Amino acid sequence: MMTGIEQFLADKGIYYLTFLLLSFGVYGIIACKNYMKKLICMNIMQVAAIVFFLSLGQKKGATIPVLIEGLTNADSYINPLTHALMLTAIVVSLGTTGVGLALLTRIREKFGSVEEDDIIRRQNKL
Amino acid sequence: MMRKVIGIIVIIVGLGYVFMSFDFLPVIGDSTAPAHTHVSDYYIENALRDTHSPNLVTAVLADYRGFDTLLETTVMFSAGVCAVMILGSKSHIRNRFLVPKKILKGKPEPGVSAYKTVNKDVMVTLIAIMILLYAIYVLLHGEVGPGGGFQAGALMALSYIVSMMIAPDTRPLFSLSKANAAALAGIGVFIYAFTGLLTVFNGGMFLEYGRLPFPVSNEYLHTIGIMLIEVGVTIGVMATIITILKAIIERVRFDDDRD
Repeated sequence: MMTGIEQFLADKGIYYLTFLLLSFGVYGIIACKNYMKKLICMNIMQVAAIVFFLSLGQKKGATIPVLIEGLTNADSYINPLTHALMLTAIVVSLGTTGVGLALLTRIREKFGSVEEDDIIRRQNKL
Repeated sequence: MMRKVIGIIVIIVGLGYVFMSFDFLPVIGDSTAPAHTHVSDYYIENALRDTHSPNLVTAVLADYRGFDTLLETTVMFSAGVCAVMILGSKSHIRNRFLVPKKILKGKPEPGVSAYKTVNKDVMVTLIAIMILLYAIYVLLHGEVGPGGGFQAGALMALSYIVSMMIAPDTRPLFSLSKANAAALAGIGVFIYAFTGLLTVFNGGMFLEYGRLPFPVSNEYLHTIGIMLIEVGVTIGVMATIITILKAIIERVRFDDDRD
């Protein structure tokens, strides 16, 4: 028999964890002065959104969404829709990261650094 | 300092608001939650009849939401082209920012690893082949089990990246130039779109696999259609990743580069 706090964590705990992860990303984007770190924090935020969607797709006692013979009940399989959506979201996050890295390469070429302080100093000098 | 304080305040306010308003979210594992009640049940119960694909994620991805996936693949292709265009302009090497040479003076010769062995070269050739085999398995098995085009594309690109990063001197399993990789990404998207157009020419709707012009039964037509677009997605994703990698590596300057 689960006590109250265990029941609460099993029911809603994952939401708090994903929002904690999301806030780590937000804090990193605000606080970090290195653009590379900002890009990594953006990735952390994307991971938080992906985990949130995947946890919404869970069902208790259900198996993976690959059909087994003789098991046609909809409650026996976890939600395939969220998995399909997040599959494409992962790939698109890869694309955005690639474009971000390309932009960082140009920034480093122009200013010699990806640190915000160096870039502002150099821009004032120009 | 200021922005750290601002960040902490933003997060405490946001988390506090969120923590107080989580009551509206469904309980994890509840099979009567709103996400499971509308279209998801239809997908699970009718996927085998509609699409003849036992893997429900592939059925949703490639058949029910095929148009969506086509545009996702196009987004990947545009990301690759975008990276090439951002880094494509030929700037003279003098116009780029150079690290002063005196920083490097007195340091050991960069670019030569202190750890010299043939082990990593030999192992990389083995591992790259294994990753490629696994990628092909994931691609071909994607309709009946876990797997699919996106994962296979990422794995194929991984086998290229591994051999390029760890053993740059040895010949990789397959080599692609930047322009060829970008063209290959376009070919991948074209295979996908052309599969859709084949069904249109044969009198069906876009991506209606039952109308593909092959003389086999309806069930096999769905299998062939899903396999064709999976191959398109695989080629597109693989070539896009290699394009981005090549574009960045050709342009970027590291601190220990001496040119």
